Amino acid sequence: MLLEIENLTMQFGGLVAVNNVSLNIQEGEIHALIGPNGSGKTTIFNVVSGYYKPTGGVVRFRGKQISGLPAYRITALGLARTFQNLRLFRSMTVMENVLVSLGHHAKTRFWQHVLDPFSVRREEERLKEKALETLRVMRIEQYADEQATSLPYGLQRRVEIARALATEPTLVLLDEPAAGLNETETAELRDILLQIRASGITVFLVEHDMKLVMEISDVVSVLDYGKKIAEGSCSAVSCDPVVIEAYLGKEGE
Amino acid sequence: MTKTVILIQTIVGGLGIGSIYALVALGYSMVYRSMGLVNFAHGSIYMIGTYFGIIFYRGMVAGIHLPYWAAFIVGVLLTAILGVLLERLFRPLANLDLMLMLLGTIGVGIMLDNLAIIVWGAEGFAVRSPLPSKPILVGGVSLLPQMLLVIGVGTLLMVGLQTFLSRTKVGKAMRAAAQDREIASAMGIPVNFTNAITFAIGSGLASAAGILAAPIVYVNPSMSAAVGIKGFASAILGGLGSIPGAIVGGLSFGVIEAISAGFISSAYTKGIAFIIMVLVLMVKPSGIVGETTVEKV
Amino acid sequence: MKTRSTLWKTLALVAFLALLLAMPKIARNDYQVRILNMTGLYILISLGLNIAMGYCGQINLAMGAFWAVGAYTAALLNTNFKWPFWLTLPAAMVISAIIGVVVGLPSLKVRSHYLAIVTIGLGEVINIILVNEEKITRGAMGIPGIKRPSLFGFTFNSEQKYYYLVLVAVILGYLIARQITRHRFGRAFRAIRDDYVAAKAMGVNTGFYQILAIVISGVYAGVAGVLFAHLNTYISPDIFEFRSTLFVLTMTMVGGMGNLLGSLVGGILVILQEALRTFKDWQLVFYGVAVVLVVLFFPGGVMGIAQRWRERQATRLASAAEKEEAGNPPSGEVR
Repeated sequence: MLLEIENLTMQFGGLVAVNNVSLNIQEGEIHALIGPNGSGKTTIFNVVSGYYKPTGGVVRFRGKQISGLPAYRITALGLARTFQNLRLFRSMTVMENVLVSLGHHAKTRFWQHVLDPFSVRREEERLKEKALETLRVMRIEQYADEQATSLPYGLQRRVEIARALATEPTLVLLDEPAAGLNETETAELRDILLQIRASGITVFLVEHDMKLVMEISDVVSVLDYGKKIAEGSCSAVSCDPVVIEAYLGKEGE
Repeated sequence: MTKTVILIQTIVGGLGIGSIYALVALGYSMVYRSMGLVNFAHGSIYMIGTYFGIIFYRGMVAGIHLPYWAAFIVGVLLTAILGVLLERLFRPLANLDLMLMLLGTIGVGIMLDNLAIIVWGAEGFAVRSPLPSKPILVGGVSLLPQMLLVIGVGTLLMVGLQTFLSRTKVGKAMRAAAQDREIASAMGIPVNFTNAITFAIGSGLASAAGILAAPIVYVNPSMSAAVGIKGFASAILGGLGSIPGAIVGGLSFGVIEAISAGFISSAYTKGIAFIIMVLVLMVKPSGIVGETTVEKV
Repeated sequence: MKTRSTLWKTLALVAFLALLLAMPKIARNDYQVRILNMTGLYILISLGLNIAMGYCGQINLAMGAFWAVGAYTAALLNTNFKWPFWLTLPAAMVISAIIGVVVGLPSLKVRSHYLAIVTIGLGEVINIILVNEEKITRGAMGIPGIKRPSLFGFTFNSEQKYYYLVLVAVILGYLIARQITRHRFGRAFRAIRDDYVAAKAMGVNTGFYQILAIVISGVYAGVAGVLFAHLNTYISPDIFEFRSTLFVLTMTMVGGMGNLLGSLVGGILVILQEALRTFKDWQLVFYGVAVVLVVLFFPGGVMGIAQRWRERQATRLASAAEKEEAGNPPSGEVR
């Protein structure tokens, strides 16, 4: 089991955002997490990636407990994430954005940056080559030197994913990667996600675009009011009366 | 017995100086709350406010000698007017990010400080207290009359401010505007007007603090930095943006200073107060009274 | 086209270096050279502040205190133990770095205006210690008799000679700052400044880099302090007041935060301030007004103006090229 979420509870004051949720993610799958707005999906992401300390339960990644670790350590262990509302580094080019993620793979030490410009330059070339590979996977290598935040929205989404992939994760958490994309862009995103899975990276996905979820997911978990109400293959979940009610009930309001 | 007497005496002295810090801290917090502006020129407003009152008390303007209470009122009113004018100058700064705000308000402070030097000279003067300088003895504790005046008037002003904010129509509008600027202006509250009033009150309080403190301290243009920094430290210690926080922060800062001066080391007074402030912030970054907010990811 | 512009750049750089080398000869008296030397020291501090604030977004208002720490370390080691400049310099760097960790630690917990007051407070504490530990620092009396540095029998015993020492220090300081900020350390710093949360998510050990940035800024100020102590041969606590920190802050912001060249340009402000002396008391009033005007109208400082100009130039070129490609006649549709 790659990621084990066990009896996870997250409480903010009196508000229970996530209520005793258990969830397992197997290596090599695309696992989608769906549910109406405010059902606690992003909160689960925030706990798993280390932004909140859970008020109850544990999270284990490759058998090691990670709940309570600082976010950057979790990333270094091989668990990366993207943000729903893009959080690109605004002063940086696309290339630099991706290079930040490669920082903890760099071999140069601080004293070398002060005294040894030659090995720093060599290392920089190596990192840039690596970054370029990631940009190619996301099909944005031609924008490498553009200011990241000046790109169209759809491309910024891809930079966001590229940045997460550059940390060289085994599991990547994608928070609504299709939000705000048009149909062509979504189709391209689908191909990219499948390609990511094919390269051996497990994907944990929060997404509202049901068509996309149904097309690519191996397993779907459904949250409602902070509780897990269903889990299974796409076809099983989409027929589940509890799930239908949760969604229709919301729409009927 | 004597130890408790000294302790009480020290605490009263601390509360006196603390009232000054609290009044200055209120200016920082009120302006921050309503405009989102951290005003590093507030120390200079305090200094100018002191001069605005004391120059009439000492007959430095066309030989007009006002009694202390009248000079106090004139000074506070003049400084409040200055505050309204300054609000216009600060308005564009309030929307900038912190570093620019820091620099911009510091720039205004440098301007005010040096104008004061040009008008009133760089060297200062001591101010005679309107009250007798002989300490009053209360149960063995000797208290300076001016210090009691500072505490008394300071308390009156703080209670008055609280009443004004919670009871009057303008005060309520100010609180609403501070809570949410957009909603307030949608509800028809003139936000620029409430900001101007906020600035006027903040500046007036600083002036009051300065005129009250003048007979205890030495008055000169460079006094803006020390009180400015300590007032800001007090506001932060209590929780920036909180009215009770400013009061609690100011009084604690004063008492800590007095106790460390009296019992630990007079040389390190200021240092100990700052270290305690740093420690409090490390434990509770939002200050003593401030609310902790959950960061949205 | 490209080679020509690099040629021009090289020529300009060579001319500029020649000008810098000739400065002591151009200056009319020792006093003017002294101002140049002080400008160099301020540039060093500004480079440090730029790394901490401009790149990493960590407000460090204890810069004056770091300068004092550097100067006092040098003065005490030199006068008491006869350590030469070449030993007091690394010693002061180590001590500034250690104090940098102490001043930097709160940055793990507090940010923005809270960090501002915390660093102001810690800086004050350091200054208070220097004033009050009279047995060691001689308090307000200061420390006289600090020796000028010498190298292979050559003593930097005049303002003119010292100028070249300062010049080398500034050039080295700039080049090192460039090496730090251009590569992964600089990117980590900027990531923290741009988006603290996202930086963490990308594996940046934010706490480590925040403290590192403050340590670097402290070491730069410390080095400037050492240079000052050996230049002035006498130091006392009153030259390290909070005002000096504010001055470095203004010169960095006027030059341009987040751009090392901004610190160099900001150095001109030191000279300008001297030039304004003729206005006596009005000097500082003008200075205050100028600061406010810069903040309101040129928030990026001089480098910001230069950048905007270059961008405008670039878009003009790009749109011209586009038009050429499309074969359209020039029209007013381009901004």
